[in-house]
Amino acid sequence: MRDVPTYRPELADGVRDVPHSSAGVPVQGLGIIRRRSSSSATSLSPPPAGGAAGPTPAHRRPMRPFQRSTGDSILGGVCAGLAARLAVKTAVVRVAAVVSIFLGGFGILAYMAMWVFVPVADEEESIASRVVGERRELQIVLALSSALFAVLLVTRSLGVSDLGVPTLTLLVGAMGALVVWRGASTAETTRLRERLNAAPGVAGAHSGWRRMAVRTGTGIVLVLVGVGELSRTGSFSGAALGVFVGTMLFIGGFLVLFAPWWIRTLRDLSTERRERVRAQERADMAAHVHDSVLQTLSLIQKAAGDPREVVRLARSEERELRYWLFNPERLGRHGQRPESLAEAVAVIEREVEDSFGVGVELILVGDCPMDDGLSALVGACHAATVNAAKWSGCAQVAVFVEVERSTVSAYVRDLGVGFDPALVPGDRQGIACSMVERMERAGGSVAVHSTPGVGTEVELVLPRPTSAR
Amino acid sequence: MFVVDDHALVRSGIRAELGDAVDVVGEADEVGAAVELILERVPDVVLLDVHMPGGGGRAVLEQVLREVPTVAFLALSMSDAAEDVIDVIRAGARGYVTKHISGTDLVDAILRIADGDAVFSPRLAGFVLDAFADPAHGLIVAPSIEPGLDQLTPRERQVLRLLARGYAYKEIAKELGISTKTVERHVSAVLHKLQLSNRYQLTSWAAERRML
Repeated sequence: MRDVPTYRPELADGVRDVPHSSAGVPVQGLGIIRRRSSSSATSLSPPPAGGAAGPTPAHRRPMRPFQRSTGDSILGGVCAGLAARLAVKTAVVRVAAVVSIFLGGFGILAYMAMWVFVPVADEEESIASRVVGERRELQIVLALSSALFAVLLVTRSLGVSDLGVPTLTLLVGAMGALVVWRGASTAETTRLRERLNAAPGVAGAHSGWRRMAVRTGTGIVLVLVGVGELSRTGSFSGAALGVFVGTMLFIGGFLVLFAPWWIRTLRDLSTERRERVRAQERADMAAHVHDSVLQTLSLIQKAAGDPREVVRLARSEERELRYWLFNPERLGRHGQRPESLAEAVAVIEREVEDSFGVGVELILVGDCPMDDGLSALVGACHAATVNAAKWSGCAQVAVFVEVERSTVSAYVRDLGVGFDPALVPGDRQGIACSMVERMERAGGSVAVHSTPGVGTEVELVLPRPTSAR
Repeated sequence: MFVVDDHALVRSGIRAELGDAVDVVGEADEVGAAVELILERVPDVVLLDVHMPGGGGRAVLEQVLREVPTVAFLALSMSDAAEDVIDVIRAGARGYVTKHISGTDLVDAILRIADGDAVFSPRLAGFVLDAFADPAHGLIVAPSIEPGLDQLTPRERQVLRLLARGYAYKEIAKELGISTKTVERHVSAVLHKLQLSNRYQLTSWAAERRML
């Protein structure tokens, strides 16, 4: 078992156990996946371990199959999976992997290969086989890889070829990342996104300012390094005119050859994104219908014997649905202070209809943000509506609220029994008083018009503060 | 009269509510059939659903009124979308009521429409008030051919406000000390302005409710 291919002897120094396995085992993993899918995938990211496919350990004790870990993963779960397979500590494998990156970038290649070719613990297919199986994914990956390849060729022709092995490694690494991006299952993508979001410098920085500073800083450093490298290799000297022209021709040719394809692929990508958004919307809609309408319908069936309850349920569902469809801004957020008058009066409608089984016909003209005065108005309006619902004996209460430039007025009207305001006993004036007091404190006024047998109307008028006009 | 609604349940409900008070000469559940039958039977009033597949109530209105301009339409809808409602009114409907309306009120509205009057439910009155909001509030108004059309008179505004508060024509007349006929004239004038004013060429006025 010590016949490990010698292209990775570096690992042997620090960690005794890792080298024999980190080379041998992935091979096995590769072998499994190969059966299905490697022929075309090899052209994308040549598996570095491919050459070592020969020595399959036959006499080893039965071990768990090599699968990428889901729980204990940092990126693709390769190291954790490997560690589980080898029964060593995850940290050991991780250190080895990091060390191997500095040895000609080999670690990156190996990691990418394993990421792409080894399936995740709870999935059947590897990323590579998924990409190869989907024609469009394959096309996208090929298109983007060709673009990467073009960039590489251009860089080379500019005379920066001394970058050599690291550049190539990075290129293959980027291709691997591409394949992962396109081929990873939804579950894995979600996991990855969470990981990346938690990583510092991506979105982990708390304030937007810090995040931007990190990004700008990184960008500037990279640009400076690039410029330094270019001027060092001297391709900017005057003698390089021929090279420059050649490069331009080369780039032009590449564009003519591949640009339409790239563009089409990109368009496909955006179409796909749109479709995803649409599917998401449809799912939201279905979820809403399920949560509200279907739920209410079944409640109604259960309460079929109680007409009052049926009416209440139907009414509240209708109101919710109506707002959801036409006035989402009025839905408000449960348990939060309403921010606009529309939201606040919608709460009145909701609460009165739900608690008293009386219909509230709410007409609102205009809208404005809530302030203390308006809170008083809405409170008084609520009290008036509750009164009408409770005492009028009428099945419908009309609430009209209008925002004008200098005033906000609210009218609560019912066609119920009515009363003679002069005959209301002193001890029953509590609510009227609370309405009047509240409105007067806010600088507004209340008028109650009621005729026995005809109905009642409460008029609430509040001048608007000049600053808000 | 004639009922156009794409839901059979609603149609039968309406027929039941109306009872013997009005003579229903036919019904239809889609735009094409509705236009054909209405043109054939020429009812006094058509009760029209705003939302229907195949162009909605608006399509029926336009096709029928092109041939027989005397047919009066009353729009009936669940919709809270002001644009939709204003749209059918602008296409020529003489009134708008919600499907909540009681049987007697509906009969009343139909008879009123048959007499050539306009019928405004409180909700429509609210929509119109919103639509004719003071331009100073930031509504951009397209230049009108007839300047007067873009504004409501104070009296019209008063009438609309009372309508939105749930007052019946008779109550409005009493409140303002005018005759019921005058109230009807005001409402018809508002309807006329609504149909001719350029204000509503602006599609999204209702979506961007003015935040004063």
